[in-house]
Amino acid sequence: MMQMTIQRLKNEFSQAWTVIVKDIRVYYLRPGMIMFGFLMPFFMFFSFSVRRQMEAGDGLARLLALTIFFTAAAAGPFIIPTERRVRTYDRLLAAPMSLITLLLGKIAVGAFFAIAVSTVALTAGLLIFKVTIAQPGFLALGLLLGSLAFSALGLIFGSIPTNNPGDVQMPSTLLRWGLMFISGVFVPLNEMVPAARIVAYFSPLTYAQDLMNHSVMGSGMINVWLDVAVLLLTSILLLWPSIQLHKRAQVLGN
Amino acid sequence: MNAIEVNALTKYYGDHLAVNDISFSVKKGEIFGFLGPNGAGKTTTQRMLTTLLKPTSGQILINGHDIAHDAYPAKRVMGLVPEESCVYTELSAWDNLMFTSSLYLVSRSERADRARHLLETFDLLEKKDVKVEKFSKGMRRRLSIAMAIIHKPTLLFLDEPTPGLDAQSARDILGLIRQLNAEGTTVFLTTHLIEEANQLCDRVAIINNGKIAKIDTPENLKLSFQRVQSVEVSIKPNDHNYGEALGKLSGATSLVKMGDKWRLYTEDPSLLLPAIMKFAEESNISIVSLNTLAPSLEDVFLEITGKPVGAVKQEPNHKKPQKRGMGE
Repeated sequence: MMQMTIQRLKNEFSQAWTVIVKDIRVYYLRPGMIMFGFLMPFFMFFSFSVRRQMEAGDGLARLLALTIFFTAAAAGPFIIPTERRVRTYDRLLAAPMSLITLLLGKIAVGAFFAIAVSTVALTAGLLIFKVTIAQPGFLALGLLLGSLAFSALGLIFGSIPTNNPGDVQMPSTLLRWGLMFISGVFVPLNEMVPAARIVAYFSPLTYAQDLMNHSVMGSGMINVWLDVAVLLLTSILLLWPSIQLHKRAQVLGN
Repeated sequence: MNAIEVNALTKYYGDHLAVNDISFSVKKGEIFGFLGPNGAGKTTTQRMLTTLLKPTSGQILINGHDIAHDAYPAKRVMGLVPEESCVYTELSAWDNLMFTSSLYLVSRSERADRARHLLETFDLLEKKDVKVEKFSKGMRRRLSIAMAIIHKPTLLFLDEPTPGLDAQSARDILGLIRQLNAEGTTVFLTTHLIEEANQLCDRVAIINNGKIAKIDTPENLKLSFQRVQSVEVSIKPNDHNYGEALGKLSGATSLVKMGDKWRLYTEDPSLLLPAIMKFAEESNISIVSLNTLAPSLEDVFLEITGKPVGAVKQEPNHKKPQKRGMGE
């Protein structure tokens, strides 16, 4: 029995990896992913940074938070509705693997994309702006957990039963923009009015930004372990709405 | 044990009843046709059988496993060829097969051999490294079937496998289905193409408005509808007025123009044949050909569903028209 369970887990891991590799090959270079996942965070960052004075380290911390946030959250709303539209998603749902395995695979697809794009930003910060990283371990942890958490957030929108990526891109973009403005990315937490700061504490992006501040500059407003815990919890908890939406789609027939 | 056992299966979409309390079974090794007009509930039923859609109520057993409790054992033995050729057009044929074989846990050592064998069987080996976006519809459909059987499923679901294909591709695919069945695969074929079901299926279920109207072998279905025998006549000159007059002959229940021929439906051809001969003589027209026809599966289908397929039907007007089909 135990052996069967271990074998099943191995199988599920291998199937999730198969989905990840396929998605990377099929979707990473699609215009929708490049636009919303790769270019958007850089556009946002540069439009915000123009004419502002900030330390290179501060700028890099913000850019990293933006890239993991935007890039990771872009994958789900693009890939799953596209697959539903061309019906390849049926192949995945009919395959002998659990729904959780499939969804974890999809989360990893977004997370890997975000890690790759933020590595580009990080490399630029290190080589061009000569930024030194205060806490590399927390940086690695922050990039990983932030990417997983925001990919899980994007997956919720991807799980809405629709065949049209446009149907979910709009609400997901609205949410991402909203979170970006309330989460201490553009206005640091210590410069916010108390009411805005309270709202900011409800956004996982706040903790990702704070963790990047700890990692790059060596200090933040929140305890670093609380940042880690919130991002870890977010990654796990945000899987639940996606599972429920998939079950709903199974009832509705979408 | 049956390959598929369906008990009191029902599916509502909101208030709309798509599948209404249907029960049937499919024996192992059988080609089972699920035939019905568009919107009858065929695809909904198939999506429930393949775990893609949750039934409102009822039970589905695949090889004795209740898929509502644990779909995993059923999914391991199933292959699915969806209505559209669901292939990854950005990948090559080879990569599509490698992906599916890995997803269905085919051992690493066997994947390449099976993929090569299937590509050869499906006449795609030369194009194995070409991106599927460059494939024709027929090639995509063949690849879609190859992807569905690379893990050697014992139960294969095909949803409308041939519509939109040219005659040669369609014939090739029907041949492949027969071959798979000969090798022991149970086939559940969803189709609205009556002739396809007639040629392939051991048994056929006809579904209409979400209910199964009949289940039997194609020949038994035809035998049970002897009242829809017909006489096909070609006349010269092939004037429309003469055609209409044929429909008014005693014994003709309805008339359909079939190209350059007229098909007269009748319950008793022996009564109608002399009437046609007499009419030809009196009208001074010649009969080019005259055939009596047993009911086809299409006739049975029309009787049950009341949905005309292709032909333009004309009712005789010398008596109160006897409409064909339950739904009319």
